[in-house]
Amino acid sequence: MGIGEFAIIGTGEVPCGNYPERSEFEVAYSVARMAIQDSGLDKNDIGAVLCAQHIMSNPDNDYNTEMVFGRLPEAIGAKGCKVTCMTSSGGASSYSIRKTAEGILRSGEADTVLVVHAQRFTQFTPNEQAKYFSIAGSDVEWEVPYGMTFNSLAAMITQGYMNYTGTTIEQIAAVCVACRKWAMLQPNAMFNHKEITVDKVVNARMVSYPLTTLMCNVLGDGGSAFIMTTAEKARKVCDRPVYFLGEGSNYSHRTITRGDVKDLDQMTTFTAPIAKEAYERSGLGPEDMDIYEIYGSYPVVNLMVMDSLGFVEPGKSGALVEAGETSPGGKYPCSTNGEAMSFGHSGTGVGFAMLVESVRQLQGKAGAAQVEGARFLIENCGGGAFMDCHFAVMGNEIPG
Amino acid sequence: MASGQIDIETIKAMLGLCDEDLVKPLPIPTKWSKPFWEAALQHKLVLKKCSKCGNIDHPPYMYCTACMADDHEWVEASGKGTLAAYAINIFGVPFPFWADLPYVVALIDLAEGPRMISNIVECDHDRLENGMELEVVFDDVTDEVTLPKWRPVDESRRG
Repeated sequence: MGIGEFAIIGTGEVPCGNYPERSEFEVAYSVARMAIQDSGLDKNDIGAVLCAQHIMSNPDNDYNTEMVFGRLPEAIGAKGCKVTCMTSSGGASSYSIRKTAEGILRSGEADTVLVVHAQRFTQFTPNEQAKYFSIAGSDVEWEVPYGMTFNSLAAMITQGYMNYTGTTIEQIAAVCVACRKWAMLQPNAMFNHKEITVDKVVNARMVSYPLTTLMCNVLGDGGSAFIMTTAEKARKVCDRPVYFLGEGSNYSHRTITRGDVKDLDQMTTFTAPIAKEAYERSGLGPEDMDIYEIYGSYPVVNLMVMDSLGFVEPGKSGALVEAGETSPGGKYPCSTNGEAMSFGHSGTGVGFAMLVESVRQLQGKAGAAQVEGARFLIENCGGGAFMDCHFAVMGNEIPG
Repeated sequence: MASGQIDIETIKAMLGLCDEDLVKPLPIPTKWSKPFWEAALQHKLVLKKCSKCGNIDHPPYMYCTACMADDHEWVEASGKGTLAAYAINIFGVPFPFWADLPYVVALIDLAEGPRMISNIVECDHDRLENGMELEVVFDDVTDEVTLPKWRPVDESRRG
C-alpha cells in the first residue's frame, strides 16, 4: 500500500438528530450534492457512487433495495457513473466502503468516487427499534434470550475495565463531558445546546449498571458524504486534499465471548498493534498527531482505544480525560465532533461522521472546533459488538 | 439501587404493544447446536469438542473452528465457572424483559475454557464480585426450553 495514494477532496453533512420528515433519500441526495459542490468537481466527473447500508429497512420503500438497484446516480444526475454498489460492516462501514472505493480507483475504471451515508431511525416505532437493537449487538441464540442488550454489553465491559484498571466512574463520565464540549462547537451535532458535568453524568438515570443514560449513545437521523480520488487527481483539482498515509485493521469476533482478547484490561493487546501498524506505514508516530479521532460509542471504548494510541500509558486514559487533556484546548484533542455520545449515533454513520470531521479538520474547515494548524491525525472506527478495529493516519500533506 | 420502574402495562398502552411484543425470545437451535439445548433440557451442560484436535467450540459451529473437522463429541462440563464481568440491567431493556428488572447479565468463564453470556441468579447484587466462583443452575423457561444460568457457589452471597 503506497503512502498517500488516495485522498478525500470534499465532504457534505446534514445535522444529526430527530428529523422524521427528512427521508433518508432526501439526506442522501442532499449530502451527495454538498460533497460534490465542496470538492469543486462537476457531478459528471463522478465515476462511481457507493452507498452505505441503512440500518433497519422499511418494506414499503426500502432505501437499501433502491440504492443497491442504482437509485442514487440517477437521482443526482451523475451521468459519468460507471459503478454503483452498497457496502456495509456496521460501525466499520466508513472503512469498508472506503476500501471498496480504493479498489475501484485502483482498477482504473473510475478516478473519482462519491460515497454516501443516510439514516432515518424515526420512521420506525420505538418497539421496532428496540427489537432491532436487541438483536443487532447480541447473539440471537446465545445472548438475546438472557435479556442482553447493546447497553448491557458496554456496561459489562465498563465494569470489567474499571475493576481491572482502577479507572473511576467519574473518569468514565469525563469522556462524555469531553465529547459534549466538542459537540457544543459543532453545528450538526445532536446535543450541542447544553454542557454537562461529571456530576450530572454520574447521577443521571441508571440504565445498565454502571452505565447511566448519559453514558449511552443516542440514535439520531443523519448522513454525510465524501468524494474520494487518487492523490494524483486530487492535487490537480483541489487546493487542500486530505491523504490517507497509513492504515491498520483487524477483526476479532461476532460474539464477545469469542473475542481474541479475554482480559478486559488487556484490550490494547488487540488494538495497539493495529494502531502501531497504521503509524509505521505512515512513517509517523503518536507524537506527530495533532488530533485523535476515536470512535467509541460508549465512553469505555474511547478509553480502550486511547490506551492503544501510544500517547498515554494503557489503563491511564481516564485520568488524562479527567484532566481535560482530550477536550477543546487540551494537549490531545480527541473525537472532535462529539462522537456518537454527543454528535448522535446515526447507525452506520458514526464512522462517516468521524471521517468527514477528520477531513474538515485537515482542510481547515472545522469552524469553531478547528484545531489550529492540524496537519496529521489518526482516525478510528469499528463495528458490531466491538467486532473489529481500524485506524487510518491522515494528513493534509505527504510527509517527506 | 432504586429502579424507579415504569410499569410494563403503562408502556404497553403508551406504545400500543400487543401481547406478542412481550413474549420473551427463546433460542432457536441450529443443526449444530441442537444437542446443547437437548442436554440443557435434561439439566446437563455440554460442550462441543472436536474429535480430531480436541478444540472446544462455544458457541458451537457447523464444524471445528480450529481444524474444520466434522467429527466431534458432546462432553459434559463441570458446571463450574468464574465471573469475568457483569452488568445490572435497570432500565431500557427489550419489553419482554421489563418485568424482570433489575437483572444481571454476565460474562462467565467456564472451567473448561469457553465463555458464556448468561444471567447471574440467586445473588445479592451488592455481593457480585469479579472472579467470584459460580455454578450452573437450570431455568426451565418453557416445557421445551431450559436456559443454563449461574449462581454464586458461596452461599453467603446468595440473595
